[in-house]
Amino acid sequence: MKNDKQLFKVNIQLWNGIAITSAIFSFIICFLIIANFLQINRLDPINTEVINNLVERLSQNPNDEALKIEIREIDLLARKAYFTNQWQIRTGGYLLLIGVIIFVVAMQMINSAKNIVPEIGEKDDNNLYLQKTARKWISIGGAGLVVIALFFAFLTHNKLGETFTNAVIAEKTLIEEDIQEEANIIQYQNENPFEEPPEAATEEKSETTETNSQESVNDVVKYSIADYPTAEMKANYPAFRGAGGNGVAYHKNIPVNWDGTSGENILWKSPVPLHGYNSPVIWGNKLFISGANATQKQVYCYDRNTGKLLWTANVDNIAGSPATAPAVTNDTGHSAPTVTTDGKKVFAIFSTGDIIALDMNGKRVWAKNLGVPQNHYGYSSSLYVYEDKLIVQYDHRTASKVMALSVNSGEVVWSTDRKGKISWASPIIVNTGNQVEILLVTDPFVASYNANTGKELWRFDCLYGEVGPSLAYANGIIFATNEYASLVALKLGEKPEKLWEQFDYLSDVPSPVATDKYLFLATSYGVVVCHDATTGEVFWEKEFDNGFYSSPILVEDKIYLLDIQGTMHIFKADKEYVSLGEPKLEEKAYSTPAFAIGRVYIRADKNLYCIGK
Amino acid sequence: MKKKLSIIFLLIIFSIQIYNVIAIQRFPKPEFESGHTQPPTLTPDPRSQALDILDVFVLVAALSIVSWLIIKKRSRKGVFWMSIFAVLYFGFFREGCVCSVGSLQNVTLALFNPEYNIPLTVIAFFILPLVYTLFFGRTFCAGVCPLGAIQDIFALHPISIKSWLEKVLGVIPFIYLGLAVLYSATGTDFIVCRYDPFIGFFRFEGTFMMFVIGGLLLLIGVFISRPYCRFLCPYGALLNLISRFSKKHITITPAECINCRLCEDSCPFEAINKPVILKHKEEKSIASRRFVLLGIIIPLLILIGGFTGSQFHENLAIVNSKVRLAKELLNNTNYGETDQEAFEITAFNSSNQSKEDLYNEAASITHQFYIGGWILGGFIGLVFGLTLLSLSVFRYRKDYTPNKGTCLSCTRCVDYCPVKVNE
Repeated sequence: MKNDKQLFKVNIQLWNGIAITSAIFSFIICFLIIANFLQINRLDPINTEVINNLVERLSQNPNDEALKIEIREIDLLARKAYFTNQWQIRTGGYLLLIGVIIFVVAMQMINSAKNIVPEIGEKDDNNLYLQKTARKWISIGGAGLVVIALFFAFLTHNKLGETFTNAVIAEKTLIEEDIQEEANIIQYQNENPFEEPPEAATEEKSETTETNSQESVNDVVKYSIADYPTAEMKANYPAFRGAGGNGVAYHKNIPVNWDGTSGENILWKSPVPLHGYNSPVIWGNKLFISGANATQKQVYCYDRNTGKLLWTANVDNIAGSPATAPAVTNDTGHSAPTVTTDGKKVFAIFSTGDIIALDMNGKRVWAKNLGVPQNHYGYSSSLYVYEDKLIVQYDHRTASKVMALSVNSGEVVWSTDRKGKISWASPIIVNTGNQVEILLVTDPFVASYNANTGKELWRFDCLYGEVGPSLAYANGIIFATNEYASLVALKLGEKPEKLWEQFDYLSDVPSPVATDKYLFLATSYGVVVCHDATTGEVFWEKEFDNGFYSSPILVEDKIYLLDIQGTMHIFKADKEYVSLGEPKLEEKAYSTPAFAIGRVYIRADKNLYCIGK
Repeated sequence: MKKKLSIIFLLIIFSIQIYNVIAIQRFPKPEFESGHTQPPTLTPDPRSQALDILDVFVLVAALSIVSWLIIKKRSRKGVFWMSIFAVLYFGFFREGCVCSVGSLQNVTLALFNPEYNIPLTVIAFFILPLVYTLFFGRTFCAGVCPLGAIQDIFALHPISIKSWLEKVLGVIPFIYLGLAVLYSATGTDFIVCRYDPFIGFFRFEGTFMMFVIGGLLLLIGVFISRPYCRFLCPYGALLNLISRFSKKHITITPAECINCRLCEDSCPFEAINKPVILKHKEEKSIASRRFVLLGIIIPLLILIGGFTGSQFHENLAIVNSKVRLAKELLNNTNYGETDQEAFEITAFNSSNQSKEDLYNEAASITHQFYIGGWILGGFIGLVFGLTLLSLSVFRYRKDYTPNKGTCLSCTRCVDYCPVKVNE
């Protein structure tokens, strides 16, 4: 009997030892697993800083074989480390399981060896008291639950059901409009059986998705190629950097001197309600700009002769518009893209992806949301109209594309996916002699698209980085630039080829402008350079006191370039720098000016100016 | 003899395992030329029909054996080994799916959505434990449910908690049950499965949080026995109700209770009703007044609960993937992702569904949640009301008896009883 007890005692001690050891073992393994997990969570083997830097270096020097090998080796190492960590967690898990099982078995053995010793206390459980306490806490718990639920309900209440029902109605309206449009086309075809239907997108599709795009026939506008840009467009100033966005104004008698302080040659000055970096556009006697902040978006129309604000259109209640505007940086804002007009309607787009068409009296024709552009500074590509299509460069992080929307309905006429990164540049639309092409630039390429079908005509890899400046075009040569990358001249042809490349002076914001002979490039740090358009040779370079965000505009044989302090630098578009004037506005300015006969229109920081004699 | 039995038992387990090899996948995994093997998925492979039948057979056998061990043999040891078996078979071998706890969602979905074809095995897993409970009490919880069994093994150093706290926390399973029914009735999600804390252990696979929650529950379970069963399990809430009407529930003493108080603190689940003496009876006038008050309060609680639930319905509805997708599309928030298009939106765009249809469906689901919110809130209000009522009733008891609702039939108390019957 004595021996049995001794044996039993030894067993308890043994199991106690096992239990303690396995508990410590399990605890250590558990700690290591958690540490390993936290480490593995921070690791992204395919997106390490080291590799990204090396890849960046490789993109600058694509033929560096040694660098390629180094990247591969580091990549392999990162992946190995990742999978080793995973293996460690899995193995640790099994070890932990074994440790815990041993611990539980040991504890069960210890428990089973213990004699049952019931404890009989002198408790006098008062049932009434227990019930009362339980009732109290049940009531408190229930009331708490109700308060918390109601608090969250009212905090997050956003009429979800009603919102969806309204969205259904909005979608239905769009579909009905489509049906009506199709009915119009059928009616037109029945009434005009021998006429060709309005040009449909019959071209090869490639990456292009086309939708039924024929418009309400009465409004269809077609140009012959030789007409582009049309005389009407040239007579007005319908978009950012003028007709087609190429930085050329076709107007005469533009003043070269004025003074913002004394008011000399300042015909009028009007405040702008909401801020925006977009530039003015002009059609007839009307001038249009837009402005926005995180909560408000507006389009303004001014009488360009008097400066009177004719109307303000609020851009709101658009189906699909986000409840909160996306985060943007102060130097881009919510209204960086310049509006455009075809003389019948005005079109504006904002950082939220809201796009709107207004008639010339400010009445909404259509509006839609294109999806919030994923853009860390803010969306900034300006709009253009080509024939009956509104061209939108929608290069953002998730699904870059260029698309043409019907000016009458906003429906997608064509949409072409783009493989590049985010671009802050705007399209230019040029007549190359054979056809009208939309030219776009982003990291890493310049690409051309058929303006009628959206079909990509060619693509040329030549740039990288966060591309801000738009392209310039003259005499069959395209000029593309970006800071930290290069300035490239591409000769147009079936396959464009690089004419020359320069690395000395590069722009990050202002777009260059070209004549047949020269290319003028301004930089945000204040240097302006004139290149030989065909060879890239630098004819002159001049450093100014202030930098430039505004793009240079070619007017007759002069360049108008506005610096950020509001001083207009007017010089000859020639191989030698000849200053023609440096009139000051005395208000900061970031936008590009617009022109009409004898007039310059400048959107400064807070005011809109009309300059003329 | 014991050795032989163990070998036979292991042989049975291994021979059953072979069935997995012949289980056919509906869509065979692709083979890669590079030799890459696909990692195992988080959900178990489909089981063959033979295994499904076997599962039901094993369930019936396990329920019968454990009920016999509890009611007839009153054997704690037997129940413990059945728990081990349950963890091994229903837990690790069956990878915890389908379990009776989760099956209530399948049944609900089948009731509300006629298009859902519920497998017979699932019905069996839902019904059988309920039937056994109606006859023998919660014997399923005692030694067949793998979720309960794994916790029971960890109940190493149980401490008692205040009985009022036990009552308050005991409401949670009913709330969870209501939520589980609402979400499965609307086809939103099987939340009981999604937040099953132990499934990760049974499958050796799961998210980190799954393991953390499971681990924490087991750790808590060392001191507060079976926390999931007592304060969370929605199926346990059903069993609790049914068990109250069980015909042959386990008793602490096999004969007449001698009030020795030896069993008083033996139950780690606080499921022993202690004798209530007459001196603890309330004055009749106070009790009557309270009953009248509760007669008014209970309908009021149902109304308040219903109103609260209806106001909370948007928060409940947003869990639904279609409602969420519609909201994300409408607000263009891309599921908070900034680097790339969220895969849900990519999937929707590549489907042929129109936005109009989606918004319509989302509006309809939101309305369902509005109605569901009323019902769920009303149900929770009723649970609170009935709990208050049960806490106002005076029940005279002279013996120590198991609380038929909360007793998990683990038979721990039996070993403490000195009364023995002559066989």
